[in-house]
Amino acid sequence: MTTAVASPKVDPASLAWALYICRACGLIYDEGKGDEDSGLAPGTRFADIPDDWACPLCGVTKNDFEPYVAVVVEKNARRVTPGGSRRTGSRHDAGTVIVGAGRAGWQMAEALRARDGDMRITLVTSCNGDVYDKPLLSVAMARGIALEKLPRETGHAAAARLGVKLLAHTQAVRITPSIRQLRTSRGTLRYQHLVLAHGAEARALPQFPASLCWRINHLQAYAKFRSALDSTPQRIAVVGAGLIGSELANDLALAGHHITLLDVAARPLAACLSEAQSAQLLEAWGNLAIDFVGGVQVSRVEPRVTDAARSGKQITTACGRVFDVDHVVLAAGLQTPNRLARSAGLHWNNGIDVQAGTLATSVPGIHALGDCIAIGGQVSRYIEPIGRQAQTLAAGILGQATAAFEQTQVPLRVKTSSLPFTV
Amino acid sequence: MEVLERPAAMPLPTDASLIQAVRALVDGPLAELASDIDRRGVYPKSILQRLGEIGALKAHMARGNHGNNNEEPGDYGLAIRAMSEVSRVCGATGFMVWCHEVCGLYMEQSGNPALMGDVLDRHNNGQTLGATGMSNPMKTFAGIETFLLHARKVEGGYVVNGTLPWVSNLGPDHYFGAVADVEATSGVETSKTEIMFVVRCDAPGVELRNCPSFSAMEGTNTWAVRLTDYFVGADQLIADPVRPFIGRIRAAFILLQTGMGLGVAQGAIDSMWKVERTLGHVNAFLEDRPDDLQAELDDLTARIMVLAETPFGCDKEFLIDVLDTRAHASELALRAAQSALLHQGARGYLMSSDVQRRVRESHFVAIVTPAIKHLRKEIARLSAEEQPA
Repeated sequence: MTTAVASPKVDPASLAWALYICRACGLIYDEGKGDEDSGLAPGTRFADIPDDWACPLCGVTKNDFEPYVAVVVEKNARRVTPGGSRRTGSRHDAGTVIVGAGRAGWQMAEALRARDGDMRITLVTSCNGDVYDKPLLSVAMARGIALEKLPRETGHAAAARLGVKLLAHTQAVRITPSIRQLRTSRGTLRYQHLVLAHGAEARALPQFPASLCWRINHLQAYAKFRSALDSTPQRIAVVGAGLIGSELANDLALAGHHITLLDVAARPLAACLSEAQSAQLLEAWGNLAIDFVGGVQVSRVEPRVTDAARSGKQITTACGRVFDVDHVVLAAGLQTPNRLARSAGLHWNNGIDVQAGTLATSVPGIHALGDCIAIGGQVSRYIEPIGRQAQTLAAGILGQATAAFEQTQVPLRVKTSSLPFTV
Repeated sequence: MEVLERPAAMPLPTDASLIQAVRALVDGPLAELASDIDRRGVYPKSILQRLGEIGALKAHMARGNHGNNNEEPGDYGLAIRAMSEVSRVCGATGFMVWCHEVCGLYMEQSGNPALMGDVLDRHNNGQTLGATGMSNPMKTFAGIETFLLHARKVEGGYVVNGTLPWVSNLGPDHYFGAVADVEATSGVETSKTEIMFVVRCDAPGVELRNCPSFSAMEGTNTWAVRLTDYFVGADQLIADPVRPFIGRIRAAFILLQTGMGLGVAQGAIDSMWKVERTLGHVNAFLEDRPDDLQAELDDLTARIMVLAETPFGCDKEFLIDVLDTRAHASELALRAAQSALLHQGARGYLMSSDVQRRVRESHFVAIVTPAIKHLRKEIARLSAEEQPA
């Protein structure tokens, strides 16, 4: 076995210009590119940014940024064929297998590669693997960001850069922990370590048929939804006025659509804002086409054909109110899929149960991070902890020393741009 | 905190005497015949009939009076174990057991009195033999093929035309289940419909035609079936409409098939042990050793037995598990058969050896509808999130 470990190398292009990452949303500030939208010319050093500057994506302050080093691995430091291949090479050792290509999956791949240039890494994902910043989905329309601009890097390019074998459009079906195998829809992988980073999915509720209601929890669903919106203003019902629902409603309204925002609670963002703050938000929304309807329970959604050119949906509430709209977006929270955890017999406690410091699951060789885990029954669905979780797991997998993962309070930025909040 | 369900340990056979009777038959007369079935195309009719007599072809069928509410649900786990015992000795016969049993499933679930009662009893006891021509419709419903049989509505029923390329376990007095799409009437655009029906091989308009030789399983009485204005009356209808019917029986149809893969894998593992004493010192250098394969096979069997408790489940996650166990059984049969040949060496490569025969049988298990690739495609389709159009 070779002991030559490729240390993370700094990309020559960024020797002159440093990168900084937003701890809250993962946005990367590149000194070389600046941020012209907020008046920072290309070449603006991070140190020279005014203190009142805010993250252009989520709005937290400059203090919430930290230096970021992009991982670049020397080509001759690894043996694996770079990304793109769909073949599993079924019975060969797939090394460390990561399930999921969201932020958690890619952060895991980066953390492992930064620490070990040789390790065989296979990433399995049901999507195409493109790398993107999920928080952008809440603000992309108002900012006029075209769909094709949302991915930061294609899955193929990220896999090639990191020397990861990417199995895109591949479904992970079942884990057999006794023989360390992961069954997938493109064959069976033998793993040394398995990292579950498959996240959570939008909660499905029986009164919201999937064929009628959008559930937007990843780029592919978002892209399909955006494509379905005509250029003409649409009537859109957003069900659930939590973080995602309120941010989407805000963004869609700024893009010119007419929004009906429904919630069982009497006020928007009831779980994280005070009554006074909710009132301020409603006041700020006064200028937008957002009708907030609180205290209602939707009992059914049905198709409604108004005329040949336009097929709509009709929402009926338990109290008998009826709303006719063009689109329904369900934002009633997230749930964690348990198929893989169940197959492996992993302890489950509101999510994959992991140890607080080590993030170890109940089964040796299987690790988990991101939205699919729960620590003491608590899920965290924020961006910031993911990078640190990946570092803790990567060190553990490689037998290296590292500080234990700590849950810290992160500023939560509510990206309702009409009146953003930090709580 | 909870531990999510895992398959329980393999349950003891609920009907050990049936399994013992099957073992006696397959390890005796069937073992004698297996090579002739494979190479000389001998059709093991007497074996199938004997399996019917001892009750091995009806374990999965509901017991009691058909059509009333006193029925006891069938035991799919027992049916799969019995099919596995047959397949352990002869993959071709195991396949024909499945063909016959799944035909019984169509008849039982049809709700058509003409296909139930005494007719079904005779079928279940192996006094008459049935089969299935469902490869094409199953692939059509999965978006892989298009219908090969076409029905036109006529007075009192339908007439059907078209050719199915290969249907197994046929004979002049046999019958099988098939599906045809129904031609739209008088040019008016109607939604696509299909009918599912029984084809009787001795009826007018049915012609069995030779089809090319396959690499194994010559004795399965496999024919191309050409239907020319074949009349389907009410007595032959299994389902109309077909799609909800297929949705209901789909898991049972696929689960039953796992008996073939489990049995071929078990036969292969058994043949590895036979040379362990003499060749163990060199076979130790091979991967996929018999103890490893047996452990994997036992785990898979236990998993299938749990699924077999609810053969008519329609839940998406359940279906994915059914498809995955069927794929796993195929993969395991392939690996075990291949490894058995490597374990036995030249003696397993003799044309008279069951070891090389089993390699070809395992290929069949892996490609017969639904093939491994079809199963995986269907898992991907079921896993995809549904979204508004």
